Amino acid sequence: MNEGKATVGENDLHAYVDGLLDDGRRAEVEAWLEAHPQEAERVAGWWSQNERIRDAFAGDYIARIDDPDLLRPDGSPSAVAGHRARIARIGLAAAATLLIFAAGFGTGRMLPAGTVPAAGASDTSLAAEARSAFLIYTSEVRHPVEVGADQQEHLAAWLGKRLDYRLRVPDLSSLGYALVGGRLVPVAGKPGALLMYQNPAGQRLTMMIGRNDENSETSFRLDVQAPLRTFYWIDGPIGYAVTGEISADALRAVADECYRQMEEA
Amino acid sequence: MPHGPEDDADGSGRRAGHARQAPDEGAAGAFEDALLVLVPGLRRYSHSLTRTDADGEDLLQDCVETALQRRAQWRGVNLRAWTFTIMTNLYRNRHRARVRWPTTAIDEAQEIADTDRTGDPLERTRIRTALDALHPDIRTTLMLVVVEGYTYQEAAGIMQIPIGTVMSRLSRARHQLAELLAKDNIVPLRRPK
Repeated sequence: MNEGKATVGENDLHAYVDGLLDDGRRAEVEAWLEAHPQEAERVAGWWSQNERIRDAFAGDYIARIDDPDLLRPDGSPSAVAGHRARIARIGLAAAATLLIFAAGFGTGRMLPAGTVPAAGASDTSLAAEARSAFLIYTSEVRHPVEVGADQQEHLAAWLGKRLDYRLRVPDLSSLGYALVGGRLVPVAGKPGALLMYQNPAGQRLTMMIGRNDENSETSFRLDVQAPLRTFYWIDGPIGYAVTGEISADALRAVADECYRQMEEA
Repeated sequence: MPHGPEDDADGSGRRAGHARQAPDEGAAGAFEDALLVLVPGLRRYSHSLTRTDADGEDLLQDCVETALQRRAQWRGVNLRAWTFTIMTNLYRNRHRARVRWPTTAIDEAQEIADTDRTGDPLERTRIRTALDALHPDIRTTLMLVVVEGYTYQEAAGIMQIPIGTVMSRLSRARHQLAELLAKDNIVPLRRPK
């Protein structure tokens, strides 16, 4: 490496920007830059590039719940999991899930009543459930639902009966989503309803609804589990969650619309 | 800085817990555990190399699969550098196999890229679009140094090139990026919403 003020070279400037110089050499480079404003400007630009690049990808440093699936060797159930993950990814690129869940909140396994959700295991199981439903059902091409939209009344009656709740199937056509249908799903070990919607572009939303035995209330809450977002809320005996791989604003619009219609029901 | 803004959006930082939650089903070995810990970093690296997050996840999956297949070749030191080397090679091979430049639609790339950000999505798109214009080898060099924090010597080791090549690639990366981003500033990107 070069030494002395007069011998600061290109490599020193890079190392300076990348924080790879020791204190002594850094001071020398800084002194040199003061005497060379043109170079200093260039170096400042690099510095800014570094910051912007780091910021752009800082959010990608995340663990995902299905990461362990990546580690399953071929041939075991993992091949299936890997295959599913690939399919899901294809689905994810174009699909959004709207989950409205509800169920055994009163067990304390999911959400503490009326308070900010606690971190840790309680929420983890909820997020896991929402994620599983998303992965499994939005990637289903042939049989995404048990009962199709053509039998909407039957669907509402059937799922409502299992939930012991007068289920109203939200109409999301104002947001461009048409009902695909619904299915019965377990949510925290109890019957829950999963409704699925799709827009003309093929993006899917599903909605899960379940019971909240605690009869508590919460406001809208956002849970981000990249690449999915979930809006959830508890309204008396019923809890809802909407999950989607769409912008928070778009998802919020869906959640608002659902909430509005549920309230009218 | 290792944790993204999403962690806060969660309000719980429980994401890390997720990853460790299920090492039970067939992935219980020490090697798998060590690999699992590296996944977030590998994910960031793969996303920083690819045009879309979907491509990044695909590369990540290939990398983990390859690492598992070649576990016998790992000499027991620095698993991170070893896996980063694997991913770097996979990425390079993909580009060699492909027609000159990949042709993924930019719109599609942006759509996927922007889905789970709490930061300025335009800014991320802007940076990524600029990076897409760099030669893959140059991009790799820049990402290893800037995002992953490798020294020039370490980056040279991972890419299996002389350190002088690292320096010249870095220099070109910064020069080209400055031009690309300057150009970009003149034409404001606007996405329909």
